[in-house]
Amino acid sequence: MAVHTATPANPPDQQPDPVHVTDRVGSGSDPFDAGRDPMGGRPRPPVGLYLHIPFCVSLCPYCDFVVVTGHAARGPGSRIEAFVGALHAELTLRADALDAIDGIGGPDRTALRSVYLGGGTPSLLTAAQVAGLLDHIADRFGIALDAEVTLEANPGPTERGDIAGFRAAGVTRLSIGAQSMDPAELRRLGRRHDPVDVRAAIAEARAAGIRSVSVDLLMDVPGQTLASWDATLHAVASLEPDHVSTYQLTLDDPDAEGLTTVEGDHLPVRAGARRWRRRAAAEQDQDRAAAMDARADRVLDAVGLARYELSNRARPGHASRHNLAYWRREPVEAVGPGAHAFDGVTRRWNAARLDRYLAALVPPDDGSPSLPPGGTEVIDDPTVRAETAILGLRLADGIDAAFGEDPRLGPGLAWGMAHELVARRADRLVLTPRGRLLSNEVFARLLP
Amino acid sequence: MPSIPQARLRNFSIIAHVDHGKSTLADRILELTHTIDARQMTSQVLDSMDLEREKGITIKARAVRLEHTARDGLRYGINLIDTPGHVDFSYEVSRSLQACEGAILVVDAAQGIEAQTLANVHLALAQGLVIIPVINKIDLPSADPERVMTELEDVLAMPREEVILASAKEGTGIPEILEAIVERIPPPTGDPDAPLRGLIFDSHYDPYKGVVAYVRLAEGTLHQRESIRLMASGAQAEILELGVFRPQLVPVERLGPGEVGYVATGLKSVADCQVGDTLTASHHPAAQPLPGYKPARSLVFAGLYPLEGPDYPLLRDALEKLHLNDASITFEPESSVALGFGFRCGFLGLLHMEIIQERLEREFGLDLIASAPSVEYHVTLTHGRGEIPVDNPARLPGPSDIEEIAEPWVKVSIITPSQYIGTLMELATGRRGTIGTMEYLDPQRVLITFELPLAEVIVDFYDQLKSRTQGYASMDYEPIGYRQGTLVKLDVLVNGEPVDALSLIVHRDKSRAAGQGLVEKLKELIPRQMFEVPVQAAIGSNVVARETIRAMRKNVLAKCYGGDITRKRKLLEKQKEGKQRMKRVGSVEIPQEAFLAVLRTGDG
Ligand SMILES: Nc1nc2c(ncn2[C@@H]2O[C@H](COP(=O)(O)OP(=O)(O)O)[C@@H](O)[C@H]2O)c(=O)[nH]1
Ligand code: SF4
Ligand SMILES: [Mg+2]
Repeated sequence: MAVHTATPANPPDQQPDPVHVTDRVGSGSDPFDAGRDPMGGRPRPPVGLYLHIPFCVSLCPYCDFVVVTGHAARGPGSRIEAFVGALHAELTLRADALDAIDGIGGPDRTALRSVYLGGGTPSLLTAAQVAGLLDHIADRFGIALDAEVTLEANPGPTERGDIAGFRAAGVTRLSIGAQSMDPAELRRLGRRHDPVDVRAAIAEARAAGIRSVSVDLLMDVPGQTLASWDATLHAVASLEPDHVSTYQLTLDDPDAEGLTTVEGDHLPVRAGARRWRRRAAAEQDQDRAAAMDARADRVLDAVGLARYELSNRARPGHASRHNLAYWRREPVEAVGPGAHAFDGVTRRWNAARLDRYLAALVPPDDGSPSLPPGGTEVIDDPTVRAETAILGLRLADGIDAAFGEDPRLGPGLAWGMAHELVARRADRLVLTPRGRLLSNEVFARLLP
Repeated sequence: MPSIPQARLRNFSIIAHVDHGKSTLADRILELTHTIDARQMTSQVLDSMDLEREKGITIKARAVRLEHTARDGLRYGINLIDTPGHVDFSYEVSRSLQACEGAILVVDAAQGIEAQTLANVHLALAQGLVIIPVINKIDLPSADPERVMTELEDVLAMPREEVILASAKEGTGIPEILEAIVERIPPPTGDPDAPLRGLIFDSHYDPYKGVVAYVRLAEGTLHQRESIRLMASGAQAEILELGVFRPQLVPVERLGPGEVGYVATGLKSVADCQVGDTLTASHHPAAQPLPGYKPARSLVFAGLYPLEGPDYPLLRDALEKLHLNDASITFEPESSVALGFGFRCGFLGLLHMEIIQERLEREFGLDLIASAPSVEYHVTLTHGRGEIPVDNPARLPGPSDIEEIAEPWVKVSIITPSQYIGTLMELATGRRGTIGTMEYLDPQRVLITFELPLAEVIVDFYDQLKSRTQGYASMDYEPIGYRQGTLVKLDVLVNGEPVDALSLIVHRDKSRAAGQGLVEKLKELIPRQMFEVPVQAAIGSNVVARETIRAMRKNVLAKCYGGDITRKRKLLEKQKEGKQRMKRVGSVEIPQEAFLAVLRTGDG
């Protein structure tokens, strides 16, 4: 069990409702407060920590995450054990680095409000491995008593792992990669599980006392119809999850974006996956996708799952704290291959390749571990403003109407209002339902 | 180089249908006469432009001086003028034939006479040249020299005894060809003591020697250091250097009648020394210039635009430079909403257009886009306001100002295996053509002629011909004048705004189909906008085809978590840059690529 080092602001069951939070984006006297560093350009301590666990039993052809599969993920040749060792080593180095920074280091640091084990398939770890990591994190970073500790799991019986054990290790939230409740669609997506597995995984989570369960769904996927989507939505609603993410299937090309170099944060796309994506992209249809999005609103709103972000819906009190930190540009530490961290000033990422990650952190012959390769980017002020507005507009709550007076952002927001993509609601600017689907048209016009 | 008496000079060209082996034969002749030693020998020496080597075609005529000791033991000076074989360049062919007394006609032993063979022979006969028929590629297993000899006899009345069998590849027959040149082709006539007259047939610019004129002397003798004058431009110059092509430039002391060589003039402007002008001596000028060349007629017109607007001055410079080298291109500035600033250019034909575009891109590093090719229409205005030429559909006056439109017609000669007659007739009649004559060359092969509007020929007619006949048919065309036609201007309107670069002149009967094709293509290529956009094809105010581009419904980043923020921002930045590169037609943003794609599909 993880050691919690800080006193919670709220008891675990009375967490603030993130859908109606009071510390909204840009609600202070200066609307840019939330996006700016209140400490004057200096890094801030993380409020959350992300751990990337890059193992999956098999590779889904649309997958855009840093993932290794096959022998590295299971069986005698598994690299999981070695990798967990490397994660511990990186956690130590990152904590040491934070400790060394004046003002935010050491035991005075506020405890983390969220920890997120993402992947990949983190449920392939043993409960002991998860407990070990959370203990280490609690020891070096601190985990708040009411912290949200999420673990992503695939629902299949061989993939979802020891849910009760994860709960005992400190996991409070399970995010289940269901994707669809239609068996044929699941096959076409290259998924290994069946709809009944989703049901079983949720039941296990409830039985284990996991208080927040989330389900991921994909729309605009090959072979999907509005009717099958509707059936998936109803099936998921009947399982009473606390949180549902509905993602439009995106088929970006990380190779073309230049992200798959040796230092890049993505892995090259395999030939088979590339073919699959080309076919899938040809089947996508923006009119149908728009209709699916509207249908998701209708079905999920009715069961109390309100949209709080472009792709995320939750019952009151169950919005993902960890992800809210990203949208509010709060500092988040991150470890693991391809993971991205932000300290309020600089974005930093680790390179994606597992072999190089392991080589740096668990060097052969007991050498001392060093930080893995990667890169950094310092965000300049105009970009900070644009990011703040863009990320804020993703949230149902939108941004302070004062953004509209900003000389750089004003024209783009005015354009959005003229095209009825952005609307003013009291003192806030929010995306309209059409604007949610066309948000890039607004966002691109907000960039410096 | 010792000088050779005029009686032992020979000037000849090689004419052939494309690929029958003209350039290869020229190589063998150069080798056998030791004009180029074997070590320097690259294949197709005369095709020196990169593009020529790559495409395997000769584009510009080229001259080379060789010397040969004939069987009579005497040394002869021979000028070989290589000519292009493609129909677009018959202008170049007739120009080089003017410099000769004889021509070697090369015919492929397996293919026999093709359309260009006939066209070139007719040009040569019109110049009164002696023709030496050569059947080449007799080494091919499929060679049938007997059949080809019969064809030559039947179709061109060439006696079999005069035919030389050769393989340019293996070198057989080459000595016989050289001997025939010496024996059968007469020496040039022309009085060496008459006032100097030389015809400029090409030129290039050299930074040290100024304009270097390529000249064929008709009369008189040209000496080093002489003062010369150009009769048309009036320009005066001192000869800096005089020489012959071997094929590189080699200086000589003098050039006499019938000789072909170059003159470095030191002139700074090629305009002073244009192809077709007559060169004479300043101190003893000729009274009359030589008859020049008929200026090349542009048959195909298109707008050429730089992909990057700021390259416009570079394009202008490049066209000016190219024009010096290839007087057959014409150009004048034009502008288009969709494509910006560019030039309306005239070309000898589609291949010529393609070659010029490629040369501009390669030699001058430009990225270009061409509008759909057009022909030149003659438009008679109402109320007796006369006739105007229109080579750009966007410039066609409104229907109420037009009394009548005439378009150029051509006679297309096709030689084809007889089993394809049906499909070719269908092709021609589908393009408003009429059938002219049909003549069997042998039981399997036919020469058919059609009369067709040129506009129907420049739009992938040749590709259609080749694909319908598995590549076996060959064609040639010649202009036969203008004819009135029921032609209309088809405009494309995006959200009600005309897109000038996409206007077409088409026959009324085809306007609906052409319009439908265009709007369907645009519907695919123009990205969805914030609002619904109608795309119409219209004749005047009469809409003949319409499609609707639905409003954009989705442009969203599904996920945006820690690792995505930088990446997604970059994707958005790309979208933003894309928007900035868009061309605006009214309130619609259209990526340049959409125009390019429509234009590139060719059949507009
Ligand atoms: N077999 C064979 N091939 C030849 C002969 N002469 C030329 N070729 C080939 O025919 C093709 C066209 O030759 P080329 O000289 O470029 O023809 P041009 O277009 O008339 O100049 C080339 O691939 C030559 O190698 C020959 O005598 N025998
Ligand atoms: S399960 Fe998720 S992380 Fe693993 S391959 Fe499939 S999409 Fe990628
Ligand atoms: Mg050639």
